[in-house]
Amino acid sequence: MLVGQAKRLSATGTCGTWTGLRIIVLRFFLPVEARDNEPLAEPNWATGLRCNDAATVRALYKQHFPAIRQYVVGNSGTTDDAQDIFQEAMTVLWLKAKERSLAVGSEPGAFLFQVAKNKWLDVVRSAAHKHMKVVHDEGRLDVRAETPDDTEEKLQRLRSVYGQLDEKCRTVLDQFYFERKDLATIAAGMGVEEESIRTIKYRCMMKLRASRRTIAGEANTSGT
Amino acid sequence: MSALDKPTFERIEAYVLDRMGADERLAFEQRMATDHALRAEVELERENILAIELGGMERLLKAARAEHPERRNEGGGLSTWLKYAAVLAVLLGGTLWFTLRPNANERLFAAHFRPDPGLPVVMGATEGHTFHDAMVAYKLGDHDEAIGKFTALLKEDPASDTLRFYIGCAELNAGRAERALPMLQAVADQERSVFARKARWYAFLALVRSGDRNAAAAVRFEVDDPNGAKARAVLSELN
Repeated sequence: MLVGQAKRLSATGTCGTWTGLRIIVLRFFLPVEARDNEPLAEPNWATGLRCNDAATVRALYKQHFPAIRQYVVGNSGTTDDAQDIFQEAMTVLWLKAKERSLAVGSEPGAFLFQVAKNKWLDVVRSAAHKHMKVVHDEGRLDVRAETPDDTEEKLQRLRSVYGQLDEKCRTVLDQFYFERKDLATIAAGMGVEEESIRTIKYRCMMKLRASRRTIAGEANTSGT
Repeated sequence: MSALDKPTFERIEAYVLDRMGADERLAFEQRMATDHALRAEVELERENILAIELGGMERLLKAARAEHPERRNEGGGLSTWLKYAAVLAVLLGGTLWFTLRPNANERLFAAHFRPDPGLPVVMGATEGHTFHDAMVAYKLGDHDEAIGKFTALLKEDPASDTLRFYIGCAELNAGRAERALPMLQAVADQERSVFARKARWYAFLALVRSGDRNAAAAVRFEVDDPNGAKARAVLSELN
């Protein structure tokens, strides 16, 4: 399952630009004493998510979406609803992987199903869907902790931050921070100098910083 | 709010992105332990970067979603309706395109116009040079902001061919050929300006876009200027 698909992992777990071949090298040549002293290795799918690896996302989608579609469609939903729910669950899983807060031994299919199920039950139980009949509702209380409110709040806050960026800044920042391209590659793609991209990146991040500080300042002022 | 200089920003960025060597990381963490302001900056930058990554991840998920299309057996009535709507949309779109399609001048302009990339910007935010701010805005495609800042500088330095050239370019990039022309023609007439040849070519294209064929044909290129041959080809296509 997803073996060899995670990429951009160095020996220290950082994300960079590398191919699956390096995984093989790392696996076979990592010193024994280093492995013995380390905690349980992060699974490849979690590393792939943490490094924003497109192949990992596609593989998780392909492998785990059918179960969630079956659940949602079996509970008065459509495939479109299932897609929405699955995407939200994937976002939660991604954030957990980013924060390295997944429980040891977490299995992505089980995690996604639990989160998606909770989210769909929330939809079904909402006023607009009271006519729907829930077929599978067992064990809901046991899995509630998978999507704590602070995760949802954090995702909303992050979306709001991203929403403050204009299209040009997104173009540069997405390539640098999400796709992890280096400055020279971005500069070549946009037909400008590397130093210009570096300055643009800095300016865009400072705009974001300024707007967030303003918001924080306003919040503090209104709270006193 | 105090400014965050570029070197400090980049050190924090290296820390957040885990691109520091072990010694540097240790030293940075020791400093963070006693520097509350630095710690706050690290957390802010970490969350801003995470926000950008979330935006990218949600885009990636949308792309993955497109690879898993909805099943056809759901909502048969709706899908039939959608098919009719799609056909209608294509017909309407075709009619609109035919009505609003660009004319020959605009098509030729689009085929030959390549925006000037601007001058390199290599300074930090704290230096506060308006020209560099304007150039960053120009490169980011914030045309009006760039024009505003270049124009303010032009009042202080009315003889500047650089400012006139980039005001003209920003106007042209924004699709305002008529407003670009006076600036570009002024630079084109300055034989000794390093921007003269480029200004002449852009002025020519602005005239093509405006539909003023005679004025475009009257633009004189130097014998060794390769834009002259390109201009003749454009004019022959206009005929």
